[in-house]
Amino acid sequence: MKTEILTSMKARLRLWLRALVVLLLAAALWLPSVHLFFKQAPARFHSATGVPPKARALAERHLRLWSDPELRKREIERMRGSNAEWDFMGRTFLAWSLAEMSLREPAQKENYLRILDVIIDETIRLEREKGIYFFLMPYAQAQPYVEKPARSLFLDGEIAMMMGLRRAVEEKAEYRQLMTERIGHMLDRMQRSKALAAESYPNECWLFDHAVALAAIRFGDYLDGTDHSVFLREWIAKAKQNLLHPETGLLVSSYTTDGQPLDGPEGSTIWFVSHCLRVVDEEFARDQYQRARKELGRELFGFAWSREWPKSWKGPLDIDSGVVIPGLEVSPGGSGLAFIGAGSFGDMEFLTKLHSTLDFAAFPKRDQGRLKYCASNQVGDAAMLYACVLGPLWEKVKSAKP
Amino acid sequence: MNTSNTPNKSRWKRLFRAELLSPVGFLAVAGLIMLAYGAVEAAGWREHTTFISGTTASADMRWQASAARGLAYMLVYFAFVLLAPILALAASFWAAGRRWMTN
Repeated sequence: MKTEILTSMKARLRLWLRALVVLLLAAALWLPSVHLFFKQAPARFHSATGVPPKARALAERHLRLWSDPELRKREIERMRGSNAEWDFMGRTFLAWSLAEMSLREPAQKENYLRILDVIIDETIRLEREKGIYFFLMPYAQAQPYVEKPARSLFLDGEIAMMMGLRRAVEEKAEYRQLMTERIGHMLDRMQRSKALAAESYPNECWLFDHAVALAAIRFGDYLDGTDHSVFLREWIAKAKQNLLHPETGLLVSSYTTDGQPLDGPEGSTIWFVSHCLRVVDEEFARDQYQRARKELGRELFGFAWSREWPKSWKGPLDIDSGVVIPGLEVSPGGSGLAFIGAGSFGDMEFLTKLHSTLDFAAFPKRDQGRLKYCASNQVGDAAMLYACVLGPLWEKVKSAKP
Repeated sequence: MNTSNTPNKSRWKRLFRAELLSPVGFLAVAGLIMLAYGAVEAAGWREHTTFISGTTASADMRWQASAARGLAYMLVYFAFVLLAPILALAASFWAAGRRWMTN
């Protein structure tokens, strides 16, 4: 009897081992090959001139949203249900994309600028009529701003940047004064702080918003012949002095008005910041990109993604990071913005792998020439579009003397 | 009429009664994953994967309900793209191995 049980157990064990061996063999063959089904030629999503096919398909969806009020209302409601900031940022990323596309596709310039102007005008109108809190998360009203009257660098910077990019494509007189005023407010607030920090939320200063503000100031200098190069240099010097995370050398994401860090470095901030800083200090921007690549960029079997935090610091999950996938530490927010960093610095190897990941794991949906990623939302797709078309305007401003 | 269905019926029976740890068992699981993927795709649950970005697929639906559908879709999708081909390949390796051993 014992012998029978032993023989049966041995047979069972042999069966399990056989199954394990063939499964491991199959996995070793399949897993490194999966990316080949999702890999695309770089020309699909990146080009020095013209609009790449992927960008065109993404843009089609957004242009439809902006020409169909009912559809736009539904999409905005969906986004505002989670975060009012996304309604705002969906506008800005699309506006910046349309400005870049106007230079890439001159035959469509008039059409793109028409929609871009509608976006700017409607955004300013909403801010004027409903106040700054309309585009901010509810906690903005939980305590008063340190600097009075309440203003948010998040709104001022991105609106100024929208106008700046529009004007860099083609001057529009009515935006000149509005942009100058915004830049004036931003400079005034930053210069009142020893740390050159302005609030986006009460006593919360965000690096992301400062990088946009600095780029907008640089665009203002290019467009209007002003010169804030001393201020820009001083800001970079202060940031190197106060805002670098000691373990990684990456800039921290948020801090108080007196420059005390609130967070460490984050993927949902640093990739985009490195892009914006290129028009302010190319060398420092590249250094930040390369550090982000080392600390946050991850690759496996032909796919790439971004972590939200470096190994040496872990922050809380929030609306910016998205739901971080455990194990591989994939951050949807960080990975989305990694496209902008990689596109800006022409890191084609990383960018190609990021796009493979996007088509593998962000669930694309194509419909009548339009493309959206189901795992994303309107702001995520608009950021993706921007990553595909950014470049010409940055080069234009960078090539001009400061 | 019945006699023409007999081979098919016995094949299905064999499939469902097959040991999980066998080439046929692996193929059966791969087939079930394919069916499940077809079902969640047809149900339109792909849209609900937007929960990853913190958004719901529809403003009329609760976030939790949308996230549950999105999560189910993701599990089935990754099983379809990663696990099913591995099972199919493993089944073919195993079957080929058996044939080689018996020859």
